[in-house]
Amino acid sequence: MNEPILEVENLTVQFKKKTKLFQSAGDEDKWKRVLDSISFSIKQGETFGIVGETGSGKTTLARTLVGIYRPKEYRIKLNGKQIDFRKREDILLLRKNIGIVFQDPVGSLNPRVTVSEIISEGLPDQQRLTDEQLGKKIKEASELVELPESKLEAYPTELSGGEKQRVSLARTLIGGKKILVLDEPTSSLDVSIQAQILNLLIGLKNELSISYIFITHDLNVIKFMCDRVAVLYYGQILEQGNTHEIFERPRHPYTADLIGANLSFTSSSEFSVAHESGEPSREGCIYQNSCGKRYTACEKSPPIFDLGKSLVKCWLYDYAEKSRAGSPREK
Amino acid sequence: MSAPTSHRDNLGTNLLEVRDLTVNFETVDRIVEVLKDVSIRVGREEVVGVVGESGSGKSTLAQTVIGVLDTPPARITKGTVGFEGKEILQRSDKKINFRGKGINMIFQEPLTSLNPVYSVHDQMEEAVNIGEPKMEKKEKETVIRKSLREVMIRDVEGVLNVYPHQLSGGMRQRVSIAMVLVQKPKLLILDEPTTGLDLIVQRKIISLILNLKKEILSSILLITHDLEVAAYMCDRVYVMYAGRVVESGNMKEVLQRPLHPYTTMLKNSVPEGYAKEGSLKVSSGAPPDLRHLPSGCAFHPRCQSAKDECRSKIPELKAKKDGREVACWLYE
Repeated sequence: MNEPILEVENLTVQFKKKTKLFQSAGDEDKWKRVLDSISFSIKQGETFGIVGETGSGKTTLARTLVGIYRPKEYRIKLNGKQIDFRKREDILLLRKNIGIVFQDPVGSLNPRVTVSEIISEGLPDQQRLTDEQLGKKIKEASELVELPESKLEAYPTELSGGEKQRVSLARTLIGGKKILVLDEPTSSLDVSIQAQILNLLIGLKNELSISYIFITHDLNVIKFMCDRVAVLYYGQILEQGNTHEIFERPRHPYTADLIGANLSFTSSSEFSVAHESGEPSREGCIYQNSCGKRYTACEKSPPIFDLGKSLVKCWLYDYAEKSRAGSPREK
Repeated sequence: MSAPTSHRDNLGTNLLEVRDLTVNFETVDRIVEVLKDVSIRVGREEVVGVVGESGSGKSTLAQTVIGVLDTPPARITKGTVGFEGKEILQRSDKKINFRGKGINMIFQEPLTSLNPVYSVHDQMEEAVNIGEPKMEKKEKETVIRKSLREVMIRDVEGVLNVYPHQLSGGMRQRVSIAMVLVQKPKLLILDEPTTGLDLIVQRKIISLILNLKKEILSSILLITHDLEVAAYMCDRVYVMYAGRVVESGNMKEVLQRPLHPYTTMLKNSVPEGYAKEGSLKVSSGAPPDLRHLPSGCAFHPRCQSAKDECRSKIPELKAKKDGREVACWLYE
């Protein structure tokens, strides 16, 4: 049970930049790294949160895991089996085991087919089933997500936002997927509907012992849902660890800034806007232009330091290096 | 349908006083009541929140107050909007120009509220011209730059020469705040000012708005779906559901001791703390479709304490002690 079912190491995804006509860009400039050496692993029945702001690469990560994008570098193991993105059967294996629920329920459901047909899309071998078997499976899946039977013959436009997300969930659950990638599954929903979907997700996890990769920008949702969290910033995981540890003792300055900026009912009334946010740095530590604790060592890219309960990519935790370079420099 | 009430005297000492506002959206085949008997007030130097989910009518309320509601399809059938004691809803004469220096608004999506074909400088200048048409050119330039610096834009000259699409979301919202600032409005309406912005940017914009509020002493009417943002910013709050105000009162008290079952549910919907502490207490169902409102209290199908009365009669908003108001049969 404690063996990780998905292991991702050094995942790097890059997109080709748009180049202007007649502009000859060097090879370095041609590609934009959207994900830069990402490593994490997930156990069965675990919820792994990925938090990040706009442009952090959250959605790219989600899409890469279901084989929509082909990474440049990677070592991905699914149930101990090495995945090769060049092999079609490996991509199919990935898709058979990992399902995805997209943020935008309108764009991800075909408006021209009924809900039951959409749900059956999730079955890879549906042609081998009789109508009766198929109907039974659809009914089971819709019961799991608490979708009323009357909605099965409706079209997506007749559904509310919450119901659409339930349909998306049923589509991934019908094929018996082991891992669900949830890409901002509740951010387009009203708060009370979001709460219903979160409750549903908790219930499903306990019932089916599936794993979630929960991607969102909402820290309160991450805190509530996840066992472990990774903080993504412009393609790099700056910190990852146990949720409680990350929220109670954020080590990376970026994590601390995020948690400090988060509003909850118990937020203190003061917030210091001491340091300005800058662009991500192309050399050295990626967060140095926005960091309040930058010092000389930050000109080099930091390795990942293992602090026991969390992994942090920040020079502040290389104590030997720090004593050589002197005290943290004022920005 | 009765004709809109004509000018009423004695609209009170409040800066903004909306009374019994009823707005319908009328199409060929049906009439939908979007706002029903909504009364709110905003005192001087007060931050007042209007909180609700989709379809609650909160944005229609803001649009009616500032007078940008499209009529038709909308029709104001009842009610008054008083600003500094003057009725502004039925005002057809252009003499009482309340927009700009009186009431101003910051919209949710700054990309659509800023003009894409004017540079930031030209838009700012237009805003200054409306406020101070007789100001000298040199002084205008100083005012524009000062205002941009006040919203914490470092590279003022750089920002002045670009067009809105060249700026990030946070910068755009700062520019629209700066445009409002040059006019120093007495009432600032914020319609979901930070939705869609990143967390750190959102918090910076909120702090910025609250600091500016202290300096130019304007009142704020905040329209939001986000109870946490409202809790942080507001002195008082109105909770809306299906076009009606269902509860109002001091923000802290409403949060600590919600009276209406809907407010309780809204509060319980916000995930707080760690997962191991159980699931969220929320009832099933969704905000109602305004075209097919349930009979009686619109919340009764989702309400766990609904009684027979709730299914047949609509509860009125009634004053309770400590300046609280609630529209619920449980408190009759």
